[in-house]
Amino acid sequence: MNFFKSLFTPFARVSNRNYTFLIIIDCAIALLLWQVFAAGGLIPTPGRIAGSVLRIVSTDDFFDNLFSSLTLTLKGMFYSIIIALVICYLSVVPIFTPVARFIIKCRYLTLTGLIFLFTLLTSNGHNLKMSLLIFGIVPFFVTSLLSIIDAINEQEYELCKTLKMNNWQTLLEVVIIGKLDQVLEVMRQNFAIAWMMITMVEGLNMSEGGLGTLLIKSNKYIDLGTVFAILVLIFAMGVFFDLLLAKLRTWFFPYTKLQIRK
Amino acid sequence: MTYKKEEIILQVENVNLKYDRQILRDINFNVHNITRPDMQQGQVISLIGRSGIGKTQLFKILAGLLQPDTGGVKIDSDLHPVKAGEVGVVPQNYILFNHRSILDNLKLGLRGSSEKRSDKEKEDLLNEYAEKFALKEHLKKYPMQLSGGQRQRVSILQQILTGNRFILLDEPFSGLDPVIKDKVLELLVTISTLNELNTLVIISHDIENSMAISDTAFILANQEGKEGATITETIDLMQLGLCWDPEIKKNKAFQDLVAQMKFRM
Repeated sequence: MNFFKSLFTPFARVSNRNYTFLIIIDCAIALLLWQVFAAGGLIPTPGRIAGSVLRIVSTDDFFDNLFSSLTLTLKGMFYSIIIALVICYLSVVPIFTPVARFIIKCRYLTLTGLIFLFTLLTSNGHNLKMSLLIFGIVPFFVTSLLSIIDAINEQEYELCKTLKMNNWQTLLEVVIIGKLDQVLEVMRQNFAIAWMMITMVEGLNMSEGGLGTLLIKSNKYIDLGTVFAILVLIFAMGVFFDLLLAKLRTWFFPYTKLQIRK
Repeated sequence: MTYKKEEIILQVENVNLKYDRQILRDINFNVHNITRPDMQQGQVISLIGRSGIGKTQLFKILAGLLQPDTGGVKIDSDLHPVKAGEVGVVPQNYILFNHRSILDNLKLGLRGSSEKRSDKEKEDLLNEYAEKFALKEHLKKYPMQLSGGQRQRVSILQQILTGNRFILLDEPFSGLDPVIKDKVLELLVTISTLNELNTLVIISHDIENSMAISDTAFILANQEGKEGATITETIDLMQLGLCWDPEIKKNKAFQDLVAQMKFRM
């Protein structure tokens, strides 16, 4: 009885076992509702999607497409995080502050309007996709990272001063080393944006394949079973990377476990 | 009780601070080097005032972290203007680097020390102090794994390891249970006697505990009709024969003095 009461009480603590149980129940209900309401309609049923997933996974070019999307995303993420980190770390130096603040505002720019410009500036399709991906991700990375820097307690800087550190040592200790764990968290949160954008940029240049290309082709032929199957695979990969990055954070920075409410 | 007041080692002169209103007004006081025969006697000063009076601002000014509108703070026997890093600071919430273990936090304190030491000497010193401060078993832990009292000890030790002779403590008794408070009092007395020039400045609203280990207390309060807090009273506990006594809290004269102070504030 207490368990059911706790499910509806704010801030109530639920054990890991019960939480897993809750997830399974929620998923089962969602699938059941989907199966009931989608039967005979436009949206394919879970059973049909599962069949499509198995079919896609067993095709010859699926792993090539998956590999192509993953490589592009990871490369884009890597370059984006490096660029974003440099911008954010330099943002505490007054001369670079306006640049960083301007980049934050760039997230309101739509990529569609810039495709032509990027096409002119890049030499091939791969570079076009990569540059669009980086341009799309960096403002979001910078926004998240700068909010972390802005939230640093003034007393941490004061502590550095009392420990006789100069301004560069303070930057290293408080901003760079001190917030390294949160960089992984930002990566985790923004991986979703990168993963979402990949399908869009892959549609611009289909020669390299990728899940985005598969998705666009299936959409063209209104093959909704395949479309949903690809979406399920994209979703599953996203969830996998979400878990992986969360795990990496606690492996590399064990103290983060102490700060998270369980 | 034989003692001598030697040279001035901390001088606060005409400190004024104003934001949208006057916070601190004409703060003036001196701290002398106190000597006692056959022992190393440091100084323990209390700055006592009610909450919200401007104690934390004065704390930052003393630490060189905040520049007053007028006046300034001078330290050491040459009375040079204080710079950030020359005065150790133990803030009320015992701020530490949460991404570093206790040992690494302490090493950062040692890194700030101007004394040249070999790695072996550093390790020995860290172990010696960790033992003294009852932190030996916590060295591998992270700050978030320690209690408030333990974090406070780490914070104090970190500042001691920098080699600073002046250490400011902001509300060091706040939020501690009575048993821990007594241990903190003992610890502060120990620190004050580690070196002749060690000077602890306690900023607190806890009159009894602050005065129990102080040689001088300054009362920070507002005066009627005037904006901004100032030093309204100086209590020389050495002259009154009410200091350096571990049992001082049981002394009737001390209890009366504390009661009077509470009434006047």
